[in-house]
Amino acid sequence: MAEMDPQHTKWVMVIDLDRCNGCGACVTACAMENNVAFTGEEENAYGRGMHWLRIVRYWVGEWPNVQVRFMPMLCQQCSNAPCEPVCPVFATMHSEAQELNIQVYNRCIGTRYCANNCPYIARTFNWFDYEWPEPLNFHLNPDVTVRRRGIMEKCTFCIQRIRAAEEEARMEGRPVRDGEVQPACAQACPTEAIVFGNWQDPNSKVRELAESQRGFRFLEELGTEPKVIYLSSQKHEF
Amino acid sequence: MSQEQRLTRRDVLKLAGLGGAVAAVLSGCGPTAKYVRRQPYYDMPEYARPGASVYFATTCRECPAGCGLVVRTVEGRAIKIEGNPNHPVNKGATCARGQAALETLYNPDRAKGPTRQGKPITWDEAITALADLLQNTPPESMAFLLGLAPDHLAELVYEITQALGAPPPLRVGALAFMEARNTLAGAAERVFGTKALPTFDIADADLVLSFGANFMETWLSPVYYGKAYGAMRRGRPGRRGILVHFEPRMSMTAANADLWLPIKPGTEGLVAQALGYLVAEAMGREPGEGLFQVDPAQIAQQAEVSLEKLEKVARYIANEAEKVVAIPGGVALGQSNGFAIAQAVLSLNALFQELGKETGVFFTPPVNGEAPLAPATLADIQDLIGRMQAGKVKVLFVHGVNPVYEFPPSWGFAEALKKVGTVVSFASFVDETAAQAHLHLPDHTFLESWGYQRVQVGADRETLSAFQPVVVPVFDTKATADVLLAAVQQVGGALAEAVPYKNEVEFIQKKVAALRERTDGIYAHPHPQVFWNLFLQHGGWWTEQSQKELARGSVLNVQVGEADFDQGDLYLVVFPHPILAEGASANNPWLQETPDPTTTVMWNTWVEVHPETAARLGLQNDDVVEIASPYGAIQAVVYVYPGIRPDTLAVPMGQGHTALGRWARGRGANPLALLGPEANGASDPAFARVRVRVRRLGTRRQLARKENVVGVYGDGRYEPVEAKAESGMKE
Repeated sequence: MAEMDPQHTKWVMVIDLDRCNGCGACVTACAMENNVAFTGEEENAYGRGMHWLRIVRYWVGEWPNVQVRFMPMLCQQCSNAPCEPVCPVFATMHSEAQELNIQVYNRCIGTRYCANNCPYIARTFNWFDYEWPEPLNFHLNPDVTVRRRGIMEKCTFCIQRIRAAEEEARMEGRPVRDGEVQPACAQACPTEAIVFGNWQDPNSKVRELAESQRGFRFLEELGTEPKVIYLSSQKHEF
Repeated sequence: MSQEQRLTRRDVLKLAGLGGAVAAVLSGCGPTAKYVRRQPYYDMPEYARPGASVYFATTCRECPAGCGLVVRTVEGRAIKIEGNPNHPVNKGATCARGQAALETLYNPDRAKGPTRQGKPITWDEAITALADLLQNTPPESMAFLLGLAPDHLAELVYEITQALGAPPPLRVGALAFMEARNTLAGAAERVFGTKALPTFDIADADLVLSFGANFMETWLSPVYYGKAYGAMRRGRPGRRGILVHFEPRMSMTAANADLWLPIKPGTEGLVAQALGYLVAEAMGREPGEGLFQVDPAQIAQQAEVSLEKLEKVARYIANEAEKVVAIPGGVALGQSNGFAIAQAVLSLNALFQELGKETGVFFTPPVNGEAPLAPATLADIQDLIGRMQAGKVKVLFVHGVNPVYEFPPSWGFAEALKKVGTVVSFASFVDETAAQAHLHLPDHTFLESWGYQRVQVGADRETLSAFQPVVVPVFDTKATADVLLAAVQQVGGALAEAVPYKNEVEFIQKKVAALRERTDGIYAHPHPQVFWNLFLQHGGWWTEQSQKELARGSVLNVQVGEADFDQGDLYLVVFPHPILAEGASANNPWLQETPDPTTTVMWNTWVEVHPETAARLGLQNDDVVEIASPYGAIQAVVYVYPGIRPDTLAVPMGQGHTALGRWARGRGANPLALLGPEANGASDPAFARVRVRVRRLGTRRQLARKENVVGVYGDGRYEPVEAKAESGMKE
């Protein structure tokens, strides 16, 4: 397998659906880390919530044998992303260094083509300028841009944390250690369902987990090559 | 140009030898500073650097569990809450409520300073007024109502009441009685001989039987249980633990179960005994000898559950599982026979031990043997309300709880409050109780506070979790302990001699002084100041080694009997909202915006109705209904919910505030209005005994659901908004 190359990383996330209990800690953690705006009840009723990460809930079966499946859904950081080619202004594009699908807010003109083309419904659009009434704005993270009206946004895999760890590793002249970068969702997760790491590191935990027979990529038949790998939940049947 | 600037900046950083852009600095708040001061930018504290983060270890107080936090601050502002990776309870994780606690701190609707009858006063006036109350009120006509957190304040108030000769403080809260803490501790005493809250060690269990315990949402220590649940599922190669859950509605915990059995409300204890019988039978024991004297087939019929499924579970326990844990909790303990149910389910653990299985019940050892003050019993609360009603309470002090909102109105607290001469509230927000207080002396929020919390559940070792301020106070608030101590000093005399602390920090330092003698902690130092810094730096004190001892119990052949119910058409399950819990943080907008796990509803109160029941009553999604019990009525919006018994409705707590702030006020309904005053056979309310009638009001109001977005291409369930948010819930 590929040798670990500090110049070239491929960040992937593994979400173990058998561990995930749907508690929503990741949803709130993501919002607090990434300055995601809250939009209120009416906007949410129109489907204009800004959640970068949401827990999709599926009902399975009929009463009384009805069951629930939870599936955290976020930008899948596709290697072959449907959102990228449709952007007329290169606001959504691929970063070669991290192999991430990035959104350049300064370029975005709000055509929303990317959101239309995303099969995961992972992108959210700022229909209005949302406010954090003072002093609520004190907790805004200075490492993350606050977005304005007319801008598309989505999960970045906490790029600010990746960059911080990369810089620190570079200062110390070493590669980024496994587990050194934790996005806010993985860090908060009580059940340790979310694991993040570098695919290029053959000893990383994500590599180990991704080899599980339970592993799958969501809607992979579309050829999007997602970088989020789910491990299926296998309930015991009585 | 910008390229050049960036290079220069980087060179400067390198020259200064400052390392990475984000350095994890665990800081103990500066060596001698007792209080963080607001520092101007040109004179920043030594530990702060522009652009770099400073991390402070503290403890979460959004619920009483006592999870350790590490708060990231940048230039004096709290930016992000993270879990303390070394903390014995949460081991680095947090829940949604903990994450959103920054919005408690920076909430624009916080109380901005002390007031008397709604008019601003100075803190000197406030303290003089308080000293006057302490001095001139007969001690027996004072009463203190405190929340379940923080423990240091409860202990200080206890000392003050002892010195005054006043009744000891009552620790109360809606979450505490929905968790039936007294019931659980009482049952644990009978079965395991220890009167304390049991922790269930599910991390290496092969099978977990949960009787209503919503342990992954809000119950006792949800982050601990989340960690343990993850480990149970996939922590051991080749062994996957199984969860079987018994509850009338599909809670989030039930939603994660391998098998969810929606048994008839009130039959939880019987089903536990039937299961015990079946396991014993499957393991070749003669029924009747020290085992439960029950008829499983009859119980299965009574509980409306398949006997075949119970037998399958029993056979799995008998033949496959080595470690089995049975957990009583949630709605099971709120039945009229909740105390018997708790004993029956805990006895199941003892029975499994007798049958040669491993079980997992342990008790968190109290630090230095000092247990925290237990929550008040329902009888204590009713006694207080009776005395208030009779005009025997002249001064009522309230901290850490919002009784006007958190007590069911049928208990009569709100009316009794009007008979109290002076109500003093220490709430950080103008909540429903503070709005009626004569004197409102707002405390800091926990991220600006000193203190400690004694961990009762989840830690496998003695754990004292520390609070320290991570930022300067945002508003003109003052620590309640300091305000009380200042008033005590102003009174002087015998009282000041009996409570000789200069301030809150000195009190806490005296309380933790005994720990300096201990050599089995994660650190040890004889010098008080160094020990104090270590205490703050680590976020508390706990022992180096696990002290986990699995408890051994004895089987009680308790007569569970039938549960009693009020008159009505449908059973009602009132449950703490998985995200908002009892609703004390309902004014945190991101907590409102975080979808409920099973319904994905945000920002409002829904009522879960089974599809058949909805069809029978002519109800559709988003219909507004009135739910009425013998004690009161509320309005809520219908959510047709496939995971609930057809004879049951369920309504979450947390909304229906009439005060607290712009995001909480006038939103949804508080289902506590439906509950009555009866107890559950022990000393907690029987909140599950109520039955209700439901009536369609003819109006509609669309619930904000996250699933709309997902379903928009799918089942076409999205309906346009017919009643706008502003129109409220009224007809």
